[in-house]
Order: sequence, then structure tokens, then C-alpha cells
Amino acid sequence: MVDKRMQLTPPTLPEDPADALAAVGALRRLADQVEDAAVERALHDGWSWTDVAEALGVTRQAVHKKHARRLRGTGVGLRRGAR
Amino acid sequence: MAFERFTKDARATVMAARAEALAAGHATIEAEHLLLALSERPDLQALGLDREQLSYALAAEEERSLAAVGVAASGPDEPIGSRRPRDPQFATSAKLALHRAVSAAAKRGDRRLDARHVLLGVLGAQHGRVPRALQIAEIDVDALRARI
Repeated sequence: MVDKRMQLTPPTLPEDPADALAAVGALRRLADQVEDAAVERALHDGWSWTDVAEALGVTRQAVHKKHARRLRGTGVGLRRGAR
Repeated sequence: MAFERFTKDARATVMAARAEALAAGHATIEAEHLLLALSERPDLQALGLDREQLSYALAAEEERSLAAVGVAASGPDEPIGSRRPRDPQFATSAKLALHRAVSAAAKRGDRRLDARHVLLGVLGAQHGRVPRALQIAEIDVDALRARI
């Protein structure tokens, strides 16, 4: 049986606006947590800030500003000019 | 905001809310973090605030909200978050709660703003995670407010 979540169909918009808006907030929090973990993993695996930024579709400055301080002291992100 | 009128307890609550957001790995400090911080206070537990119940209700709210758009939330056994939290910033829901706390103190003619006013401010939200979680936990907000 195919998992319904795996189908490439857009999710149904919840009937109640309160539920729909709550879902937006929950998705943003989830995305934030996935981003934090994913950026950390990528840098740890040797990706440059430039590569991470391109993969995320944001500028290098944006991703650096968001994560550099958080990940300082972990041995990642020290190669500022690295490509 | 009239932060200088906050009692030591109220300030400690605000700092504890920041610690709650940090521990949860959230990028922002929200009203729910104020609520969890308040639920650690014995004087408010005596009014019926139950940390475990609130944590469970907030998790249930998250799961329900994600499920409504077809996303299965990961269980507590498989944390998705980073071990390295961001420095969380105060977000609108927490700011609004503190504004309502200031209003509640003014309305009662209280010169100082304490943790109970912060709780009134948090409970005053009409929308967002806190009222939704309180509803899931079937907490009688009006009765709780009356006890404050």
C-alpha cells in the first residue's frame, strides 16, 4: 500500500482557518529544525558555506548570519573564503 | 514596555522562557515558552498549572497541526533537531502576552507586574499554540483566570 504522504499531491487545506494557520506555524518550526540539523551536518561533512547556501537557495551571507554563531567552536565554518 | 515594573519573579519567568525555547531548539521565544516557564512555579502549580499536562498538550497540538496538512510529526524517539541551538529571539506571541500582562496589572491597579500577571497575559491569547493546546488539554481557562 502506498503511503499517502509520499504521493506528490498538494496537501488539502484544512477547512478551519485556525487549523490552516496553525499548520503554517508548525511547518515553519519543523523546517527550522530540519534546517539547523541539515546545515550542521553538511558543514561537518565538509561542505562550504557557499555550497550550503546554494543548496538552500539563499545567499551565503544569509546562511552564515543565521548559523555561524550557533556552530562556532565546532570546527566547522572556519573556512570563510572556501568554495 | 514597562520592564522596570516587573518584579524579580516576573523577570525570572521571562528568562526561564528563553531557556525553554533554547532547550526546545526553537528559533524564537513564544507565548508557549512563557507558559511552560510559569508552570514550573509552585505558586502557580497550586492554581492548577501542570507542566506535564501542558507539555503533552503542546506536543499534541503540534502533531495535530502538522497532520492537518498531511505531515507526520516525528516521535520523541527520533529527534530531528540540531544539538546546537540558536540564540532565540522574542517573537510576537510572547511580546503580545507581555503587553497583555502590563494591561492586566494596570486594570487591577497593581503597581508591580508579577508572574501572575504574566500568566493572565499568556492566557489572554485568542489564537495560536497556547489556546489550541489548552483546548486540547480541556483546561477551563476562565476558571483558571478566576483563580489568579
